[in-house]
Amino acid sequence: MPAGAGVEPERPNMPNFKYESKFRYDPNDPFGHMQEEFPDESEFDVVIIGAGPNGLIAGAYLAKAGLSVAICERRFEVGGGLATEENLFPCYASNPHVLYHMMVDYMPALRDFDLEQPSLTWIKPNAQTGMVFEDGSSLLLARQVQDTKDSISKFSYKDANSFGRAVRDWKRMVHDIIGPATYIPPLPPIEMTMAMQRTPLGERMMEIGEESPIDIITSTFEDERVRTLMLYASCMWGLDPRESGLGFMVPLMLDRTMNKCYCYGGSHKFAGALAREFVKHGGLILDAAAVESILIEDGRAAGVRIAHEGRTLRSKVVMSTLDPHTTFLDMVGADNLPAELRQDIEGWSWDKWSFNTLHVAANEPPRYAADDPWIDKCFATVLGIESVDQLLAHWDSVVDGRLDLDSFGGHSTCESLLDPTLSDRPGKYVSMFQIHAPYDLEGGWIDRHDEVMQAMLAKWRKAAPNMGPESIVASTMEDPGEIEIRFPQMRRGSIKHGEYTPLQMGSFRPTQDCSATDTPIEGLYTCGASTFPGGLVLGGPGYIGAGRVADDLGIDRWWKPTPEMERYIKDYLEE
Amino acid sequence: MAKDEEFDVIIIGGGPNGMTTAAYLAKSGLSVCVLEERTECGGACETVSPIAGARIYPHAMLMYASPAPGFDQLELHRYGFRMEWDPADLIEQSQGGLGCSDGWRDITPKDQEGWAKLGGMLGQPPFSKELMRATFWCPPHPADIEVSDENTPYMQVYRKYQPDIWTPELREMTMFDLLDEHCETEHFKTAMAFAAWASGAAGHWEGVAVPAALCVQLLTLPNMGRTSLPRGGLHGYFHAILRCAVHHGAQIRTQCPVDEILIDDGRAVGVRLRETAASGGLTMRAKKAVIAAVDVHQAFLDLVGPKHLDPGVIQKLKDISLKNGTLYVSTFHTKQPLRFNSKYEKGACNAKRVGPDRQPAAGIFPCDSRELYYENVADVDGRKGQPTISPEHAMWFHTPSQAFDPTDCQGSYPRGYISAAFEMNVTSPDLHKEGEDAPDLHKEATDRFMRDSFSQMLDGLDDDNVIHHWSATGREVEFRNTGLIGGTWCGSRHDEDQLWTNRPIPELARYRTPIEGLYHAHQTSGHPGGLCLMAIPYNLMHILIEDGVAEPGAWWYASPYYIPEEGKISAFMR
Repeated sequence: MPAGAGVEPERPNMPNFKYESKFRYDPNDPFGHMQEEFPDESEFDVVIIGAGPNGLIAGAYLAKAGLSVAICERRFEVGGGLATEENLFPCYASNPHVLYHMMVDYMPALRDFDLEQPSLTWIKPNAQTGMVFEDGSSLLLARQVQDTKDSISKFSYKDANSFGRAVRDWKRMVHDIIGPATYIPPLPPIEMTMAMQRTPLGERMMEIGEESPIDIITSTFEDERVRTLMLYASCMWGLDPRESGLGFMVPLMLDRTMNKCYCYGGSHKFAGALAREFVKHGGLILDAAAVESILIEDGRAAGVRIAHEGRTLRSKVVMSTLDPHTTFLDMVGADNLPAELRQDIEGWSWDKWSFNTLHVAANEPPRYAADDPWIDKCFATVLGIESVDQLLAHWDSVVDGRLDLDSFGGHSTCESLLDPTLSDRPGKYVSMFQIHAPYDLEGGWIDRHDEVMQAMLAKWRKAAPNMGPESIVASTMEDPGEIEIRFPQMRRGSIKHGEYTPLQMGSFRPTQDCSATDTPIEGLYTCGASTFPGGLVLGGPGYIGAGRVADDLGIDRWWKPTPEMERYIKDYLEE
Repeated sequence: MAKDEEFDVIIIGGGPNGMTTAAYLAKSGLSVCVLEERTECGGACETVSPIAGARIYPHAMLMYASPAPGFDQLELHRYGFRMEWDPADLIEQSQGGLGCSDGWRDITPKDQEGWAKLGGMLGQPPFSKELMRATFWCPPHPADIEVSDENTPYMQVYRKYQPDIWTPELREMTMFDLLDEHCETEHFKTAMAFAAWASGAAGHWEGVAVPAALCVQLLTLPNMGRTSLPRGGLHGYFHAILRCAVHHGAQIRTQCPVDEILIDDGRAVGVRLRETAASGGLTMRAKKAVIAAVDVHQAFLDLVGPKHLDPGVIQKLKDISLKNGTLYVSTFHTKQPLRFNSKYEKGACNAKRVGPDRQPAAGIFPCDSRELYYENVADVDGRKGQPTISPEHAMWFHTPSQAFDPTDCQGSYPRGYISAAFEMNVTSPDLHKEGEDAPDLHKEATDRFMRDSFSQMLDGLDDDNVIHHWSATGREVEFRNTGLIGGTWCGSRHDEDQLWTNRPIPELARYRTPIEGLYHAHQTSGHPGGLCLMAIPYNLMHILIEDGVAEPGAWWYASPYYIPEEGKISAFMR
């Protein structure tokens, strides 16, 4: 069964799980079933919980390696956050969750599988992130550095030059270190420090790591507006602006915010391509199959039980892509956990904020009252924020469970500008406006739904005067509670399954014992957003998990590290 | 521009017919590519989440396909096919009554017995599966074979197993005639005829009594569909088909609308994609066949185009009747659950309730008499445009299928209650007297009319309680799903002139077209029409075998009632 590295194994003829068929059609039994169904008892090498990006990636690698693999997905559709849905029903589809794909340049899965390449298309526009201000001025972070410098120079020549210099170093950090390291099991802090000391670039990265985002931004840039946009882009995904220890995420976030991609046809298209790769190699997907519990026998994971239908899938390995509470406390059961692990898991902290998102279908794309026509073409546009202080105050209030509707901002995207396929109806543009938002909003989301929605529409219209009722034909707003309803593992609306803090990142994510995807429970692996390197469709946990499971089952890996990873291993990790 | 891609077979349209055809052909060892226009395959087998956590089924929601050979030929269970059954519902159904203006009326033992007999349940042995397969899962006979009592598949089955149903008039009858002969109460007959009308073949049409009755039987007989729901809805069933196709190597391309079927010297050689297609405006080549699994108008009038077809055929294609209306589906999100009003809260097995929330299952309403049925038919098929009937008289049905699935929102949605779907037949936009855009202009009024009608039986549809009323007009249906031509669900009328050897027109009845190498496989274009049966692909396989396009393995078996065409390879094969 094992195939040599780099050699594609023969595709098995059928999904290769084991079961005993008990079906027999009996015309005399009026209540008997006429067609066979998936068996009540079945046996696999690997069962994966959750068909999000990590589950699909892990499944695709392992199925292609010749293992029998099942993925159990609670929802009616695969993809997890890689969703494209008709949430402006009827007729208008949008991406209710993942919209910006930041790691397309590095993700090994995109190179190791052909993913029906002609149809999986990434769009990386030059105009990446814009910011508009009340006085009509604007800033632009472009994919091409000189365009960004030109925009910054409207406010400060000095900052434009600082940006040019800094971004050169930051890009190298991402390209040589952080990008490839995303797909290699994490090192404990001391070993990491020693590895980084091998090169000047690594040393600079360690230095920057000790600073807080706000320190990095204010020491690099002098202009208030430039600082505001840089801070927004650095911390929009939940990095604490004042916390030191994760400063290396600033170069990563800024570099990636200028290199994010749109998945043509919507994010779900990526999920569909991964799922087909998995199925092609004999993998089985059970959708609408919520896992009720992970079977533990003699202290090791032995399979899963599906809720509501009494079906059991037995396996040598169970991989969970869910959050730590769901995996360990709910599915394994607190009583089955070693005391230390249980304590760590119970101490897990959720994202410090979530998102509230307004989706609209309109006759026109937003046209911003801004001095730069490129702003209307931006992949993302930040609006409503004028200064660093205002931004910090907005985030602080969100952390406190409040939304100051007189002073808030967020980012918007018109998906239809990049993707005319999203709406069947001609002439209609699908756009979204997203703000950072508390899970527990003072006054409650249900009661304040209309108030918040009106405030967001007013805010948007102030920045883009054509976004009024004369243009908008459909709208819907999704609050943090609804993120949790759609994806229960994003507890409290935690899109990353848990906060980014020094104690929950790197080799500490989700715990020191579990960050390389294996866990103290034999046969159980964690490979979702709560495991190193984290969320935001990095595809790292699933990739690392697949490698670890292949090694532990004694299967040769058919895949090889990417060239960036090989260079990183050679420069930083090899003896 | 990238190099042209080449496949044995290109299938246009990733709905249930296109995908099932892909699964059959990929399993036969051919290289297959499915081109789907929308972001997601599935066509009418779709599940939509208009708000987080809520699932609604805007189109197909009931499982009609249970006897399909596809379940074992494609081994869908190996791809995760599961179905939710509610035994409690079955008991309630058999004991339950039908909602009429004056309250619940019982279904009598004679109704049940007559109905079961028509469906083959009372034969020795029961022959339901054989009967259903003969009726739906058999290709139309070759053009040179005259259709007769002797060679009509369902006639053969009845004669063999239940001769007292067989009469020389059976092929000419209406479903009402058949019900009058075998069942007892007027409300039962009215309800079944209405269900048939909503499924595409009306109870009062001559010549389709058996297909009309049997398409309802596919839902009501215990060991067929009954009111069961595949896990994840019909889209879950579709997933199993898609995964079978993919596993056997089929390529699936979403957001790849086709602009043209390329025809060279009278032969279909490939397709040209639209410029915005996710693959770019490419040309794709087909070595063996192009299969149009899109509606018959799109396929022939747009993709093939008039320069390859004679005007007589074009006129006939344009004349294909959509007159059976479009189902206007309503799903509600409410603060408090819907409840039967005082007239219906008692009786009929204590008012049927199903699912985790024990929500009402209203069934078909009001089924008083066939006069009421005719009043509704006249309103819709008489092309009056908006409903002119009073809300008290408007007939509708409520499909509780959603409530069977405990993974569904009904059991767990935390912010209120999601109802099962309510459906009413309304005039197709193409035939609306005020023009095809009229349904959209009248949407608000139509929604209100619907709520008034449903409120004859249920409480809770007042403005204070309703948070969302999700619906789609026939026009919106067409926009979302271009294959639901005219917003009609079964594609086109399942009447005598458009079924079996006449579907869609006699010249095209065996899935072949005047263009060599071009076949059609869509509910509008072939027997037995809609309902997501996996029947057209199975029937088409016979033809593809005849033409030497497909050579399936030992897993294949042909319909025993199929008649091979003279001079071709027989699909019986071995």
